[in-house]
Amino acid sequence: MSDGAPVLELRSLEKHFDTTSGITETIRNRLVGEGPKLVRAVDDLNLTLAENQVQGVIGESGCGKTTLLRTIIGLYDPTGGEMRFHGRPTSEFTKDEWKEFRRHVQIVFQDPFNSLDPKFSVRRTLAEPLEIHGIDYDRTDIEEMLESVGLTPASQYIQQFPNQLSGGEKQRVAIARALITEPDVILADEPASMLDVSTQAEILNLLNELTDEFGVSMVYISHDLSTVSYICDHINVMYLGRIVEKAPTRALLADPKHPYTQALIRSIPIPDPHYDREQATIGGEPGDPIDMPEGCRFKNRCPERMDVCDETPLDVAPDGDGDREVACHLYYDHEERAGAEPKPAASDGGERP
Amino acid sequence: MAEPILEFDDVDIRYRTDGDDVRAVNGASFAIDEGDYFGLVGESGCGKSTIADSIVGGLDDNGEVVSGEIRFKGEQIQDYSESEFNENVRWKEVSVIPQSSMNSLDPVMKLSEQAVEMAKYHTDLSRPAALDRLRELFDVVGLSESRISDYPHQFSGGMQQRAIIAFALFLQPSLIIADEPTTALDVIMQDQIMDYINGLKDDWDVSMLLITHDISLVFENCDSMAVMHGGQIAETGTVDDVFDRPRHPYAILLQNAFPDVRFPDRELAVIDGHPPQLRDEVDFCTFADRCPWAEPACREGAPPATPVAGDDDHLAWCVRAGEMSELAANHLERSTESTSILEGGQ
Amino acid sequence: MSRLRYFARRTAVTAVLIFLVASALFLFFRLMPGDYTSLLIQQGMDPQQIEALRRKWGLAAPLHVQYVRYIVNLLTADVGQSFRYGEPVWDLVAPRILNSFVLVAPAITATYIIGGLFGAIMGRRRGGYLEKSGIITVSAFHSIPDFFLGIILIAVFSSTLGIFPTSGMLSTPTSIMIQDQPYWRRFLLPEFWKHYALPFATVMLYFMQYPALIMRNSVVEVSDQEFLHYHRLKGLPESTLLRKIIRHASLPVVTLYPISLAASISGLVLIEIVFNWPGIGSLLVSSVLARDFPVIQFVFLVAAVWVILGNFLVDLLYGVLDPRVSVSGSDGE
Repeated sequence: MSDGAPVLELRSLEKHFDTTSGITETIRNRLVGEGPKLVRAVDDLNLTLAENQVQGVIGESGCGKTTLLRTIIGLYDPTGGEMRFHGRPTSEFTKDEWKEFRRHVQIVFQDPFNSLDPKFSVRRTLAEPLEIHGIDYDRTDIEEMLESVGLTPASQYIQQFPNQLSGGEKQRVAIARALITEPDVILADEPASMLDVSTQAEILNLLNELTDEFGVSMVYISHDLSTVSYICDHINVMYLGRIVEKAPTRALLADPKHPYTQALIRSIPIPDPHYDREQATIGGEPGDPIDMPEGCRFKNRCPERMDVCDETPLDVAPDGDGDREVACHLYYDHEERAGAEPKPAASDGGERP
Repeated sequence: MAEPILEFDDVDIRYRTDGDDVRAVNGASFAIDEGDYFGLVGESGCGKSTIADSIVGGLDDNGEVVSGEIRFKGEQIQDYSESEFNENVRWKEVSVIPQSSMNSLDPVMKLSEQAVEMAKYHTDLSRPAALDRLRELFDVVGLSESRISDYPHQFSGGMQQRAIIAFALFLQPSLIIADEPTTALDVIMQDQIMDYINGLKDDWDVSMLLITHDISLVFENCDSMAVMHGGQIAETGTVDDVFDRPRHPYAILLQNAFPDVRFPDRELAVIDGHPPQLRDEVDFCTFADRCPWAEPACREGAPPATPVAGDDDHLAWCVRAGEMSELAANHLERSTESTSILEGGQ
Repeated sequence: MSRLRYFARRTAVTAVLIFLVASALFLFFRLMPGDYTSLLIQQGMDPQQIEALRRKWGLAAPLHVQYVRYIVNLLTADVGQSFRYGEPVWDLVAPRILNSFVLVAPAITATYIIGGLFGAIMGRRRGGYLEKSGIITVSAFHSIPDFFLGIILIAVFSSTLGIFPTSGMLSTPTSIMIQDQPYWRRFLLPEFWKHYALPFATVMLYFMQYPALIMRNSVVEVSDQEFLHYHRLKGLPESTLLRKIIRHASLPVVTLYPISLAASISGLVLIEIVFNWPGIGSLLVSSVLARDFPVIQFVFLVAAVWVILGNFLVDLLYGVLDPRVSVSGSDGE
């Protein structure tokens, strides 16, 4: 399988939902000749996950990060674009390949209190995915896995049920369950956000160690930039279905380009009473995914708004830095670009029926 | 600073249950000076919300202050009856910004009606006067005045939180208890809301008790603070004291466990274990089982309040508080060694 | 969406529903094996006479013509004639509807008021003796089939104790006596109330479970709501809080009331038969036994409309009581 292709690659991935409610509205829309009302939960999204890489996706609630995760895992069919797993498009997958895919792409959910079956012992929780995928195992495999997520001694935990575990221990079990099928990719949905601070540190450190130890790649989604920065090599900032900026973690924190990223970073409280934080200046509420503005989706909250923001911005490398990309009109010369790239204001305006 | 507006003096709070009582708060002492913003930090279940509830008589039916004194403006309130709380404390003197704004506004009442109701029970304001007042406050918190007659469900989460702040200011209380006011909100919205809360300091002549699990909110917005663990106060002092010279092991480790976006490479401190179930007499330090520096004395009695550097306003409830600067030396160094990667600031 | 639009919409939906039910009933009865005239064959009519009858009754016309005629007749309140009595169906059914309504409406209403209060008390005294025994009692009464409950009451209060009459609405002499007087005259007679007591009690005991248990749960649930805690912290007096609890907790009970009213029509059939109460339930059963199709068809329609109107009432009530239903959020997330 390893042919140099990235483990997981998303190309112009789209997931739109039809929000037309009820039959009368559908008929009315047909009669008037309007298209259905779409929520562009994920829109024209590109992401490349290399081997051993940890990509963070951050954004406010409603930005589409959960939809993205569910689309990757196959809970939703993408409306458009392509997803490649080890270079092979998932749209061409056979049933067996999907099963294989599910073995190699595992998920850790946000809520450890609800993601474990209360009637399953720890042993059964870990054994179940192995049985589903027809992998031989014995008790030592499970014990070893428990030890590597820090549940030691494993023999003490193996017969316990979720209600006997603390929040942090539950999340460790959930992580062990994800790792036990030896996946290539872990999708983590804010796995630390519901835990207390002391436990949160524990889980973050654990994920950090394990991705190194098991050589697994990870997509880590969260709303909390300060925790993401501990885990991720790269950060993708998502706003209303689009990735507006992607960069290596340090570069992104030290020198955010997109006005939205700047606002996000400046809004994070700093645990230091002597530090005088420069506060964000944006106002308003997160945009409404149903009724999104044309062009740049952030423009209505943006302190740098210009006329050209009514056009969808291109993804460009700011200051010629090939490692990063930002979708903002501030960072490119429009005339030069217009000559070089025939592709007009991307997907937003054109596709509307 | 003037007189304390609120004092806790060796307060024990228990919840009666069918089995053993839950000793939610044990020997809690702290004081909030008039005009101060005071932060109370701790993990879930540490008793911080119980403390908040006890100030306004909001404990559940089975909860009771069993010993110690809670003094509001010098007056003992721990044994107040429901009607005494209504008369003397609730809303006129102490208002609350509850944790879940989404569920705290009565869904079948217009916001204007909820305000009129407050006015009816606590003031002689006429209906139009009450509505005028609400409009004024909507303006203060950045809501459109025209929306006072909306139902709560017509507001987004951030807007409901602002409406709740407007309600908290409605009777110009002298103390506002904000219980995790921004937990449900995204970071940008949180920043805006904290900004409003912070701004009240200048215009409203009000004290604040900010209850949160997020120590950075306290460091940014408060003057003094207390750190709680397992039903006990671990350390109290000004935010500068607790940040610069923390002397309780939990206060030290908690700060290091907290992610700081300025230092993405720093290893986060891990605090092993979890707080004990508080079912029996709490005559020991509840942090002892998680503490890397615990010694037998920690389990032999409730830890004494120890002034740090001779300062009676900076107290650590730890038998080894005096030795902490050496014991935890490598934990205390942390802030000088690395430099922030953020631009600006400092 | 404004409130007005919400109500208009509900009304339109209700009208359409009634129309659909009427149409479906038409279709069902035409699809049944044989037609009305086949009943007459058994009574020895010759084919010519039958054909003449078919024509007279309009059964010879194509189905769609019959359908249009049926709908037009319905709209003009002409619902045909009873085979059994030869009277217009409407004249036969109308007083029966009234009789059923006189029994059910007050009984269900009383059930909901008393049951609701009882449930509220149980909810406020969670874990107490009253709550435990209350739950068992109301559940027990609902577990007994309604007709059997009626029989037990008759056995105890009529046959054994002899306090109440066993059946009917009025004794025969009395009903002849007041035949020509207005309907309400009977309410003045103690005899009517004696007849009324047992069926009323049966309906009440049987349906008590819904309001009592739902109100209990609802009170428990509402008492734990955040907004109630917030109201308390705002310093509202105990009595006001209690009023709010009741108001919020009654929401599900109030909305269940019309549903019970509508649903009771099915339970009513058996209760009316047990007590020989001259309502539409007993009319339906006797009509089925006599194969009086026009009456059956119309009673079905009445029953369906009864249920639909009940649900319509629920929608309207909900729209008033809970603004979240009828007033849409303009800035919701």
